[in-house]
Amino acid sequence: MKEGTSLWAIARGQRTRYSGAIVAMAITNVLMFGAPLIAKYAIDVVHERDLALGAPVLVAVTERVAATDPHLAYLVVSAVAGVAVTAVGGFFLFLRGLWTAMASEAICRRLREELFRRLHHLRAEFFDDADTGDLVQRCSSDVETVRVFLSADVVEIGRASLLVLTVVPILFWLNADLAWYSICLLPLLPVGAYVFFSRIKDLFEETDRSEGEMTAVLQENLTGIRVVRAFAQQERETQRFGRRIRAFRDNHTRLARLMGIYYGAADLLALGQLGIVLVAGALFILDGQITVGDLFAFLTVVGMVTWPIRTLGRVLTDTGKAVVALGRIDHILTTPEESTEATPSLPRARGAIRVERLQFWYTEERPVLRDLSFEIAAGETVGLVGAPGSGKSSLIRVLLRLYPYQGGQVFLDDLEVRDVDRKWLRNQFGVVLQDPFLFSRSIEENLRVARPDARFEDLVEASRDAAVHNAISAFPDGYAAMVGERGVTLSGGQRQRVALARALVKDPPVLVLDDSLSAVDTGTERQILDALDRRRGRHTTIVVAHRLSTVAHTDRILVLDRGRLVQQGTHDTLARELGPYRRLCEIQGALEASIDADLQAAAGET
Amino acid sequence: MDNYDDDNYDDGFDEQTLASRMQTHLWRRLFSYTLPHKRDLAALAGFSFLTAIAEVTFPLITKWVVDDIQANGGDADLVLWALLYLVCTAVLAVSVAGFVAIAGKIRAFLSHDIREEAFGNLQRLSFSFYDHRPVGWLMARMTSDCERLSNILAWGFMDFIWGATTMVGIAGAMVVMQWDLALVVLAILPVLYWVSVKFRRSILTSARQVRRANSRITGSYNEAIMGVLTSKAFVRERENLGEFQGLTGTMYRASVTNMTLSAIYLPIVTTLASLSMGLVLLVGGMDVYVAPLMVGTLVAFLAYARHFFEPVETMGYWFAEMQMAQASAERVLSLIDAEATIRDSDDVLEAISAQRAAPEREHVAFDGGPARISRIELKNVGFAYESGAPVLEDIDLTVNADETIAIVGPTGGGKSTLVNVICRFYEPTTGQVLIDGIDYRKRSLHWLQSSLGMVLQNAHVFSGPILENIRYGRPDAPDDEVVIAARIAGAHDFITAMPEGYRTEVGEGGSRLSAGQKQLVSFARAILADPQILVMDEATSSVDTETEMHIQDGLRRVLMGRISFVIAHRLSTVRNATRILVIDGGRIVETGDHAALLAADGHYASLYRQQGLRDTKSLWTPGSEALPAGSGEGAR
Repeated sequence: MKEGTSLWAIARGQRTRYSGAIVAMAITNVLMFGAPLIAKYAIDVVHERDLALGAPVLVAVTERVAATDPHLAYLVVSAVAGVAVTAVGGFFLFLRGLWTAMASEAICRRLREELFRRLHHLRAEFFDDADTGDLVQRCSSDVETVRVFLSADVVEIGRASLLVLTVVPILFWLNADLAWYSICLLPLLPVGAYVFFSRIKDLFEETDRSEGEMTAVLQENLTGIRVVRAFAQQERETQRFGRRIRAFRDNHTRLARLMGIYYGAADLLALGQLGIVLVAGALFILDGQITVGDLFAFLTVVGMVTWPIRTLGRVLTDTGKAVVALGRIDHILTTPEESTEATPSLPRARGAIRVERLQFWYTEERPVLRDLSFEIAAGETVGLVGAPGSGKSSLIRVLLRLYPYQGGQVFLDDLEVRDVDRKWLRNQFGVVLQDPFLFSRSIEENLRVARPDARFEDLVEASRDAAVHNAISAFPDGYAAMVGERGVTLSGGQRQRVALARALVKDPPVLVLDDSLSAVDTGTERQILDALDRRRGRHTTIVVAHRLSTVAHTDRILVLDRGRLVQQGTHDTLARELGPYRRLCEIQGALEASIDADLQAAAGET
Repeated sequence: MDNYDDDNYDDGFDEQTLASRMQTHLWRRLFSYTLPHKRDLAALAGFSFLTAIAEVTFPLITKWVVDDIQANGGDADLVLWALLYLVCTAVLAVSVAGFVAIAGKIRAFLSHDIREEAFGNLQRLSFSFYDHRPVGWLMARMTSDCERLSNILAWGFMDFIWGATTMVGIAGAMVVMQWDLALVVLAILPVLYWVSVKFRRSILTSARQVRRANSRITGSYNEAIMGVLTSKAFVRERENLGEFQGLTGTMYRASVTNMTLSAIYLPIVTTLASLSMGLVLLVGGMDVYVAPLMVGTLVAFLAYARHFFEPVETMGYWFAEMQMAQASAERVLSLIDAEATIRDSDDVLEAISAQRAAPEREHVAFDGGPARISRIELKNVGFAYESGAPVLEDIDLTVNADETIAIVGPTGGGKSTLVNVICRFYEPTTGQVLIDGIDYRKRSLHWLQSSLGMVLQNAHVFSGPILENIRYGRPDAPDDEVVIAARIAGAHDFITAMPEGYRTEVGEGGSRLSAGQKQLVSFARAILADPQILVMDEATSSVDTETEMHIQDGLRRVLMGRISFVIAHRLSTVRNATRILVIDGGRIVETGDHAALLAADGHYASLYRQQGLRDTKSLWTPGSEALPAGSGEGAR
């Protein structure tokens, strides 16, 4: 789908079905006109009592059926033929519907899957500025717009064109002079419709927008209802919402008024056309140019063709919308994906990490990591500290190659990470992100995301180490409890611990905790750190943290400041060196000291 | 929009049962929303009626023309017929324009009115109502359900009048023209109606399956985007796509089934219509054969046979749609009918209106009670959720002006509930809460809650500029006060570092701010509101240690001069409180100031000991290296 996405391009593979549907539609059209025509001949036959006025085919059939009165027999044959022709036409109508459904749905299915696949393979930076709601809308409502177009409008265009193509010859064949009278106003319908719908496009958009604004205000009010109450702002909120729903209502009303004018005018045109046929037809009958049956046929056929033509204007506007929607979808489909490196399958890494003169930025003006070099031995536990914005999380992202780095080198077990298969690389890491994401499925399935074939005991063991087993067991459904709106709501700390358990289930060569114990209370944190301590040596562990208590036990601490490594060493040595780490210690130390003072004072009093 | 799947959330409304029978009371109730728009409704009925009459007249004109020609040949008064046709056309065009405009208007007004009422009620309903209802559920009621119902009310009404008139008109015209031929056409009617209702129901049922599949797909996209880093980190791309393909497969089958049903239905209807035309042709043709003057009648009948079934089909559609929409109706009405369990009593309302008439006095709130709060007392307060175990029991507490109460204890112990009870977001199920000696149920809810400021752990920030967010509780605050509040809250620096400073748009739900930044903004918001009671529930949990240090000072200033409740894990925040409550299992297990509680060596002391770097303490000798020791002074 790389070659720019046009409506023609996405129909790839389904064009045969569409052609079939259009042919079926053409057959239906021809047959559907058959019934009034048959009626016309029958009326003429019985009215004039002249079998010669009948349709030759049906006359032939009638003559085969030996009957006492050929005129009445012709009538019976006509009635049966009329029903039969409609039924056969109906069958083709069904085929049209079926094939269109299959074609349009197959196209949309492919489109949806392609979008989903893309979203997983786009580079991580794509999502930095992306608005989730907007992306979801592109994947859902825009696909829906395209789907409506594919399933209804494509065929509608085909139908209207075919109708005109089949009707006009029929009319001229019946009577050329009356035919001119019958089609004189018809071209005004699609032209007028198109002009009208392009004119009110703005109002349509504005109505959509006011609906969107109404929804946004509602959503914010409901998600923030506690804040609304806590600041007693109900009245202001009600006024705000009132303004939005009034705007939406008024736009909608204006739209309805314009639509009313449109449909009124369209009916005036359509009926005017039929009126002309009726009056002119009557005059033609008086002149003896046509029969009453002819007039009936003219009226029916012209009546049948006006409706689809009347909707053609709307269909053309829809086509415009579908093209716009497809453009929005295309934005996702044409964004470059992550590269894929075909490397021979590698064995499990040992977990040694070496970073040399690493340069990294999101935007060139603001470098995030500058000239960063360090080494971590396999099995070592390393703490990573630094002020917010010093580049800790970015470093983790670079290690996983979620983001490409601009300079220097990063090695895992002497393999430069940019040369190895991303998937293999990421499989060597177990990461707990700062704001961990859990899927809305059961806790067990969330844990198995890391290793689908893990034994249940492994899950429990990991959960115990992450100090979340008890919390999980306390849920009514235990490990089968669903996460999210449909099930249990986890607190921030619980989410972090489940995410940690998930990383532990993976049992990766490198375990990374990106400030992932921030919402966990200190007592629980202690338990977790002790458990991790017992696993020491099993993984290379990188712990990013704000709290010193989290990193104090690590083998080594790396201190980052504005993208540079400014200090490294054990807690003991760093605490004695002048530098940022010491400052951090002082803040905490002040607390420490006062805790001790407090405790001593308290002890003294008792 | 939230990732929200209506069909997987059991809200107690069973669609199957509700759709099985026509619930007339629901529709009567909903129809009452049209009463304020009586004139529009009458106009709609009038236009629908005229439309139907005009449509019924056209085949008659055709018949009269043909008859006239048959009878009088060249003397036929074609001008008269042309004029009649013209009048009919004009009437039809005007009434079509009329009903389209008015039905659209009524629809817009109805959904507006229903939304307005429901929203107003939502603003009154107690927190307990929201506890059981996800935002997505509420959104679905307020948006698509409202539209669907007002659509049924407006267009269904219009189609009902139009359909009934058309059918009665056509049936009448046919019976007058030739009653036996009329019976032939009418014979098909029950069959068509039955087929129509039957099919429409299956079509709507399968449409619901399509919707369900669709909302799952939307949910998956949402999850795919939100969890993209996690999926990448765990190399889940292929598995996720595999699962998603399962969903698109379901969607494909459901949609194709749905469209196939329509594709079967339409030909059946046309064939049935042609069957009745065939019968008319047969029976009417024989009549014409006997009496050629009848040909005009036959032409009219053939036209009627075609048009007669449109209203049947339309009404079949509305009937099915109404049945299927009954669950929506129940749900929407449930929002309107839900009663706020916490609200002003009649006495309070009376006091408010009495006060409104009285001259304004200082120190008197709008409900006639004292405006200042100098003491809050909890007497034997207990709280339990409906049919649940007690969350709070036997809470006795007196808080005076200027006091800061810290609340600590394990997760789930009832800390937040206690605060919510004090703020009257929940009312105690036993005991009472007194404000200056008066039970707070005898005061205005709005008065109490406008005296509040809250900073919550999941700080909610509204879309719009930061400035407006800080101003939320006091929309008329001048810019410089906003800046002062932001400085105290420690938010000023990061705000000014943003591209547009205080005018920076924070995005939906504050998506452009980090969790810590959101907490700081909501802290500033509470400071600016200058409330009499300040509640901080884990308000700085996502703020980094250094920033937290910076705001300690501001915090102390803010807490001064008002009643404050502070819930915190980090005990550094708690130490300076006037009093500390340790809550566990819904009871106050310890109370006292910092020093006293440490001395007691109970829960608090052990919680306190867990803080900090116990294990490294020996290496890090306090006091030995010029530490600003004794910052715990304030507590003692």
